[in-house]
Amino acid sequence: MSLLVVCPTCGERPFSEFSFGGELREVSSPDPAADFARVYLRDNVAGVQDERWFHLLGCRRWVTRSRDTVANRFVEG
Amino acid sequence: MGSLRFEGRRVETRDGDTIGSALFRHGVRTFSRSLKSHRRRGLYCATGDCANCLVTVDGVPGERACTTGVREGMRVQRETGWPSTEHDALAINDTLHWAMPVGFYYKVFVRPRWLWEVAEKVIRRTTGTGTLPVTAAAAPKPTRYARVDVLVIGGGVAGLAAAAAAEGRVLLVDEGQIGAAASDPATRAAIERFATQARAAGVELLERHAAIGIYEGPSVPLVGPDELVEVEAARVIVATGAVEAHGVFPGNDLPGVWLARGAARLAALHGVSPGDRAVVVANTDDAAASVQTLRDAGIEVTEVRGRVLEARGSKQVASVTVLTPEGRRAFACDALVLSLGWAPRDTLLRMSPDPEVSGAGDVVLPGCTLAEAAQSGRAAGGGRPVEPRLAEPWPILEEAGYVCVCEDVDVHDLEAAWDEGWTSSEILKRYTTATMGPCQGALCSRHLSSFAESKGAAAGAQGRTTARPPARAPRLEDLIGGVHEVIERRTALHERHVEAGARMDRSGVWMRPGHYGDTNGEIRAVRERVSIMDVSTLGKFWVAGRDARALLDWAFPLDVGAVAPGRARYLLALDEAGYVVDDGLLAALADGTYYLTSTSGGADRMEASLRNWADRLNLHVHLVNQTAHLGAINVAGPYARELLAALSQDDLSRAAIPYPGHAEITVAGVACRAIAVGFVGELSYELHHPRSRSVELWNALLDAGRAWDIRPHGLDALDVLRLEKGHLFVAQDTMPDDHPTKLGLDWAVARDKTSFVGKQALVRMAALPLDRKLVGLRFDGVPQRGAPLSVGERIVGRVTSCAVSDAVGASIGLGWLRTIDGAFPQALVAGDLRATVTPMHFYDATGERPRG
Repeated sequence: MSLLVVCPTCGERPFSEFSFGGELREVSSPDPAADFARVYLRDNVAGVQDERWFHLLGCRRWVTRSRDTVANRFVEG
Repeated sequence: MGSLRFEGRRVETRDGDTIGSALFRHGVRTFSRSLKSHRRRGLYCATGDCANCLVTVDGVPGERACTTGVREGMRVQRETGWPSTEHDALAINDTLHWAMPVGFYYKVFVRPRWLWEVAEKVIRRTTGTGTLPVTAAAAPKPTRYARVDVLVIGGGVAGLAAAAAAEGRVLLVDEGQIGAAASDPATRAAIERFATQARAAGVELLERHAAIGIYEGPSVPLVGPDELVEVEAARVIVATGAVEAHGVFPGNDLPGVWLARGAARLAALHGVSPGDRAVVVANTDDAAASVQTLRDAGIEVTEVRGRVLEARGSKQVASVTVLTPEGRRAFACDALVLSLGWAPRDTLLRMSPDPEVSGAGDVVLPGCTLAEAAQSGRAAGGGRPVEPRLAEPWPILEEAGYVCVCEDVDVHDLEAAWDEGWTSSEILKRYTTATMGPCQGALCSRHLSSFAESKGAAAGAQGRTTARPPARAPRLEDLIGGVHEVIERRTALHERHVEAGARMDRSGVWMRPGHYGDTNGEIRAVRERVSIMDVSTLGKFWVAGRDARALLDWAFPLDVGAVAPGRARYLLALDEAGYVVDDGLLAALADGTYYLTSTSGGADRMEASLRNWADRLNLHVHLVNQTAHLGAINVAGPYARELLAALSQDDLSRAAIPYPGHAEITVAGVACRAIAVGFVGELSYELHHPRSRSVELWNALLDAGRAWDIRPHGLDALDVLRLEKGHLFVAQDTMPDDHPTKLGLDWAVARDKTSFVGKQALVRMAALPLDRKLVGLRFDGVPQRGAPLSVGERIVGRVTSCAVSDAVGASIGLGWLRTIDGAFPQALVAGDLRATVTPMHFYDATGERPRG
């Protein structure tokens, strides 16, 4: 337990209640080559990235949150 | 007045005693033997900072004698030394330094290899502290969670002042009792005053709870006597104070060498004299108070300032040499009391770089006055971080003496390690294990960095080593507390299975019947008559709303539009990489909504996936996870329809319930959705129904089924039945990177559909050569699941499922197979058996039987 994720239904909850959905990506790509990059090649930024979190042990809602991957904390916006 | 039992003897105790004070009064001077050299170690800090006085209390090892209060009749034992702590034959190790160089484990017993096996047994027996009570089953402690605006760790002057000044919900935690550790009257009075203020300000004071670490968040687990508290705090203020610096000189670990506050505390709080003739080395402003306390206790005190060069003594200290401003002076004494400088108790503070974590009092201003402590507390409480101040002077290392008392690392060891090339504080730590003992570097961490600094280590290689949890040793029951409880899910029919003699197996989180005592009989019942199985564990979902079909068409590779109301289809779930992650069924309901099932273990993932796509694509969909509130019973066998007819008035013909398809029917008075499918390869109906009616329905089916000698079947029978049909279990028969073509499941993919999850990946992979696939196998014996499949010396695959099938009259299986030179081999060796590749459908290859 540590990091808190803001869920629109449940409020601030420990990250251990959530399932991490990875960095926010496009939902589809125009062709197979672009799709390969979309699926396999992650940006892996050292800094702020948008991510998907699923409140598995709560309301089971997906949220998109911005997190600073260096400081490991969520940022507003 | 009371007593405790110490190694079989009665020891008198007084009110307020700790184990340490009671034993010391009784005459105990040696509390432990050191880790490697088996040197005598006595009370040293007396404030819970060092590890010299760890004892076993009522069978529980590792209790700190100096801070653990006495209880009537408690049994206390020392932990180290053989045959006893007092008379330790292994003290000979102290003369064998040459045989135990620094990096001992890396240098000795390397060759011959067998020597280590022997040596390890001896070493294990002679080192370490305490023995775990292996018979005691630890019950997990209950865990509670606390959300606060400010958590203050440490109930001294700075901590209490911080708590009183902080806004919002404030929790203050102390590992002991607030005020109990203060030995001088001024400090005690200040603590009382600020504690009253804090209480008046609404601060919650939590005593006898130790913070064992600061994790990101910040999040702080507190271990109490009867509970674990997980605190989430917006801000954390560490006010854990300071302890007198550990001095490093020859003889610095002798019993009778004390840190000043501890010696004063023993005299003031417990009426125990640390000695009759004490030399106090008073290099700090605080020392005057300790000197006064000791004099008040009637002890003859010699006060000096300067560098301690050496302490001598055999069982305990007898003389000391100090380099004073007036020159070298020697004193005879039975207590050497050190106030050399201040070592902040900053382990917790150094665990977190977060700006939300700050310090107050001695931990950031070591050696500060009461007024400074209060002022810094108020500042930190008000949200104004206090700039840390380094304590000077720091006692320098003499040419010999123990740096790390816990791990028996002395100055020579550090020098040797340095000469071997370990030239940074972090690497010195790892190589010598200094700072890695029970006190976690509380005394020696700064010595290590000052040693590196004095040696001219590169910038960045001389800093303090990283502190990590636990700051205080938690017990196993603390670690298993809270969130680690095993989840066990049971279906509504659990008790019925147990009554019927089923062996219940753990299958993911579910408990499921493996068999009811006769797997072959259960298989025959399905193939020849009729049988039922509890399949309530299947993931079950209802999908409705304007965009229900659009969602399912996107999420799955099948053509949802081609499934007419009343029909059902096999459902394959792919991930974005085009790999098979799950399978199930999709049933189109009459009102344009859908009902779908997933595997028992895949329910959460399927829900997460569907909700993700609905969210990302902005689809208007209602998804209801019905897994927990619907039960399901599969009725299977040639007489399945006759059995249902005996319990239902509804039309059960193929016109009413097509294959594969479904209908709403009433069975034994229970409303069911009957889904006609063929996983086991016989006529079968999955009856999905309200969970509350499961037992009733199950009983009615067993009752009416007597005419056909019905019996339930479990997972073991199911494994054979579906294998005979060549139906795979996702995860058991599949690899993480299996796309449908590798599994022979292309028929379940509507490739004409313009888009679905994994479509682009399938298009891309279709251009690649097929180098692995799942195949059917026949064996000339009974193989093992997991057996390698080989051609000559070359392993080309693995058996994923296998069974001896009566219905097929052969030993059959599934397995994956790689190509050799672009072609799949046909004749294989599985262990010591011959295996032949065959089509996967072993039983009823044309699929007539489930159509009924």
